[in-house]
Amino acid sequence: MLKNIILLALVAFIWACKGTKEEKIIPVDNFFRTQDKAYYHVSPDGKSLSYLKLQDKKLDLFIEDIETGSVKQLTHLDEKSISFYFWTSNNELIYYTEDESKERKSDLFVVSKDGSRRKQLSSNEKTKVRVIEDQLIDDKYIILASNKRDSTVFDVYRLNVRTGKMDIAAKNPGNVTEWVTDNKGILKIAVASDGVNETLLYRENETLPFKPVITNNFETTLQPVAFAENEKDVLFAISNVNRDKNALVALDLKTGREKKVLFGNDTLNVVDAKYSKAKKKMIFVTCETWKKEKFYLDDSTKVKYAQIDKLLPGTEWRIMDKDKGDNTFVVRTYTDRNPGSYYLYIAGQNKLKKLADINPSINEKDMSEMKPISYKSSDGLTINGYLTLPKGKNATNLPLVVLPHSGPGGRNIWGYNADVQFFANRGYAVLQVNYRGSTGYGKSFYAAGFKQWSDKIQEDVNDGVKWLIKEKIANPKKIAIYGNGLGGFVALNCLYKNPDIYACGGSNSGVISLFSYLTTIPPFLKSNLQMYYEIFGNPETDTDYTRFASPVFHADRFKAPVFIAQNPKDPRVNVAQGVQFVKELKKRNVPVTYIEKEEGSNPVLRQQGRTALYKALEGFLQENLKQR
Amino acid sequence: MALDKKSGYRKNFSLSVTFIALISILFILSLFLAFNYSKKSIENEFVSEKVNVLEESIKPYNEFFQNKMPEVSYYNGFLDSATASKFVDTVVHKFPFVDKVMFYDSEVKNVPVRDGVNVGHLSIGPKSIFQFGKKVNPDSVKLFSEQYSRSFRIDDDFNSMALKLVRFIDQIDTASVPTQEELFTNFSVVLSNKITYLNIPRREDLKVYKEMLQSKLNPAPVYQQDILVFDLDPKKIKIINTRPLLYQIIRVEPLTYDPIDTSDENITTEIALPGAFSDFKLYFTSSKSYIKKEIFIYFMPIALVLLLVYGVLLLVAFLIYRNLNINSKMFKLQYDFVNNLTHEFKTPVSVIKIAGNNIKSATALTQKEQQLYGKILDEEADKLNGLMNKLLAFTQIENKAIILNQEEVNIEDFIESTIESHTLKHPDFIMTYEVVGFKTFITDPVLLGSLFDNLAENAYKYSNPGNKKLNVSAKLIKGVLVFRFADKGIGIPSSELNNIFKKFFRIQNEYNQMGSVGLGLAFCKELVNFMQGEITVKSKIGMGTEFKVVLPYNIKN
Repeated sequence: MLKNIILLALVAFIWACKGTKEEKIIPVDNFFRTQDKAYYHVSPDGKSLSYLKLQDKKLDLFIEDIETGSVKQLTHLDEKSISFYFWTSNNELIYYTEDESKERKSDLFVVSKDGSRRKQLSSNEKTKVRVIEDQLIDDKYIILASNKRDSTVFDVYRLNVRTGKMDIAAKNPGNVTEWVTDNKGILKIAVASDGVNETLLYRENETLPFKPVITNNFETTLQPVAFAENEKDVLFAISNVNRDKNALVALDLKTGREKKVLFGNDTLNVVDAKYSKAKKKMIFVTCETWKKEKFYLDDSTKVKYAQIDKLLPGTEWRIMDKDKGDNTFVVRTYTDRNPGSYYLYIAGQNKLKKLADINPSINEKDMSEMKPISYKSSDGLTINGYLTLPKGKNATNLPLVVLPHSGPGGRNIWGYNADVQFFANRGYAVLQVNYRGSTGYGKSFYAAGFKQWSDKIQEDVNDGVKWLIKEKIANPKKIAIYGNGLGGFVALNCLYKNPDIYACGGSNSGVISLFSYLTTIPPFLKSNLQMYYEIFGNPETDTDYTRFASPVFHADRFKAPVFIAQNPKDPRVNVAQGVQFVKELKKRNVPVTYIEKEEGSNPVLRQQGRTALYKALEGFLQENLKQR
Repeated sequence: MALDKKSGYRKNFSLSVTFIALISILFILSLFLAFNYSKKSIENEFVSEKVNVLEESIKPYNEFFQNKMPEVSYYNGFLDSATASKFVDTVVHKFPFVDKVMFYDSEVKNVPVRDGVNVGHLSIGPKSIFQFGKKVNPDSVKLFSEQYSRSFRIDDDFNSMALKLVRFIDQIDTASVPTQEELFTNFSVVLSNKITYLNIPRREDLKVYKEMLQSKLNPAPVYQQDILVFDLDPKKIKIINTRPLLYQIIRVEPLTYDPIDTSDENITTEIALPGAFSDFKLYFTSSKSYIKKEIFIYFMPIALVLLLVYGVLLLVAFLIYRNLNINSKMFKLQYDFVNNLTHEFKTPVSVIKIAGNNIKSATALTQKEQQLYGKILDEEADKLNGLMNKLLAFTQIENKAIILNQEEVNIEDFIESTIESHTLKHPDFIMTYEVVGFKTFITDPVLLGSLFDNLAENAYKYSNPGNKKLNVSAKLIKGVLVFRFADKGIGIPSSELNNIFKKFFRIQNEYNQMGSVGLGLAFCKELVNFMQGEITVKSKIGMGTEFKVVLPYNIKN
């Protein structure tokens, strides 16, 4: 008997040892889990830290005194949940709550940081609010944009947080999509759009009317960052006007001309820029090549941030929030193998304190490295992307999952990606391609993707796969393609047009018809539609092309197994069409895995839906790639 | 016959005849039933198989209705005249029953329309109307457009579809998700020979439609909707006759079609068409002679199987009859044998009895008498003993119960001693012999002696007096020993030659009335077989008989 037990223990031990040698199969949910404590903010004086924490399925607001560490719960919500909040002064916060009903009824409150004073500013509003200036002006006003006058447009209001009174500050003529105030809270900039062209409007003070400064096509970026306080009528903006890549420029608002290029480079694309109110200057820009990198415009900032680099070795980080004096920071770290953590950094003491992990169930050691790649497309463009190889396997002859990103525009970025890590953990190499039409590689690369959704964009993806086959990394018989939204559209098109490359493919909430995709733009946004017509083609005049480009019309050409997931309650998708498409495929004896997923606001249901979806996807790939 | 009965052995010819007659009647009866059954089932199939014909023939319609028509929705209202024309081309090509397609390129808006349907604030009107189809004249493709509104009344198809849409929007609960079926039924109108289809908008659009119905939205939205009216011609349905041998003619006829001239020559059946063709039916006609062919095709295999069964039964009956016959012959032979044997035993027994009686009744026996009776008793006892030994030996050999004795035999001495013993018994028996090629061989002398004795005895028995001669020759030919026993006897008829080696067989003639049990040659054959040899016979009536015995030549090493 004893012998048997020893033997059993031995067997179990050997088994356990064997288990650790092979790559661990991590449960689906672990990849997607998010923290229940987030939205960290620092008070403008840097003395208090605030965050939201899940209490009984509702997010509640908490304040922590940084020095003493004492915590106070400011809200006890039961019906509505906090959507966003911000510090409006050293001692006061404003928070916005919404319920889960269809109308999304909302309340707005202002509360003192010790919770002693609280005032409800609005209740059960059915309109939406955007904050333009969050710092109190004259100790009582904040500036908001709201669609309460007309649900389709946002007007600017001055909200008196003491009385709850809202006065209209600027009426939207109907085409203004963005409002910008200067550092003192004076509304000076409006961005108007007719869908295709964007016009920057400026006024020197609130008594004058807005005057157009510069008009650009939607392909062009001109993104206001901050007003220069030392110079009159100068706006710092990220711009690619008359250049291919984004640069940080100082724009003369009188003439519309660039006064100075603060940071510009033929190869680097600026994606972010930070202004310091304390230093009254731009302190750094962030450029993104294969990953994000900071370039400093201020030496003391460079020295200060080098300290953070030293404290956080081997990881990337970005500033989530900071106080006015540039002393207390909320920093978020991340790498390709780690969703990262939040830290509190106090520059004066050079002290770093970990606040929370974004996803504590992810162990960095189990994750796979995401490597930047680039290759030449068949017509000579350089295409960038990322390749993630499964851990613990030789980089030869691997089954491959291609993940085209959604769009229009957009790109894959370097960092933790739950989908990618999930596939890699299951033993697949993952290819992400920033095909033409992706943003971040310059204006011409973006424009090169226009009306190429069923041509060159797919060719770019295919070229990537062919390159991997040539490099002997991918097994040419075991290649799948899968995407979300327009990524799903690309995936389905690639799948049926290239049966020699792809063994199977799938789409999750994918676009299957450009006709229905383009009708999702409401008719009253007819102007906006023009932009989409530029990118995709006009379904009314290019009916043949649109038909050709839409997979739904080509059910007869599908042969390989297809995975289709959609949310039957999604009002934006023509669900009937998806079902009809699946039926058609089934009738033609194409093996179809069809998943109807749940995407409610209920987190439990959402998690169940997600688990079911990825389980099905895993099974689908297993069956069609590994077992062949 | 009386004998048969007594022995309990029955043979009844009439029984066999009755049996054959009975199975023949059964055979004919089952053929008749099978034919009737075939007829019934073919007639049933004539009625039931029409469902399959309908199913096969209506398949293209179902495909059109369930797969092709909903393709209109894929365009989400963006269908224009050129694309619609192409779409219709493929439809007409693939589905020949589609005759003509009306295409209403329509708009749903908040502004009242002159032509179309206005309900509440919702208006549905065509921007332009086209018709496509094989028979449509190219210059009458475009029927209506907002710019050049020729005098053209929006017809009922458009209005009924539009009203159906309005009714649906009015009732729809925007919070719940309508099912696929709900959508499909509400966005299509199926009339006789006509289907109207409206592309199914998204749920979000339906919500806006509902709002538009109740109030004027600002800015006034305009939605695209495509209405297609398919004119169908049921006569152009391609009928697929799945049972061409069953149905001679299948036609599409109006539902009310019922010809008076229903002659007895034809049988007919019908089944109504579904969906848009519901005013029509498939009408099936076959002449009776046409059906008959199908009945025979159905009947033939059954008949063949029955015939086979009948044949097997007959064969079995014949075999049983044959076996019975053989058995009855065997029985007769055995009976004869017992008869003969009894007779054979009877003579010595009665002689012994008489001798015994005489001895018992005599007061005194003279020397001579005593010698005589002694000799008689001794001889008769020998006879009985010989008979019994013969019977015993025969059964032993037959059952292979004795073991072969292997001894070296000098053939000349052996033949001479045989001749000596026989000529001593029968002085008138003249025996000669010759030996060629060998002197000795190995065999069982007792068995060989029995063989020689039997054959010599037969030669003597079946020869006329004065001609009782036997020539024995022994030769070594090609490694085997060949013995020939040639006599000048009465001979055996060739018809009996095959039977003489059978047990209990005797040729019925005057020579063997006594002293024969019909075992001699059968015994010889068993002996030769036992010695791994062969025995054959040649004979001519009146000329003599020659037995030839072939034995293996074994010598001592």
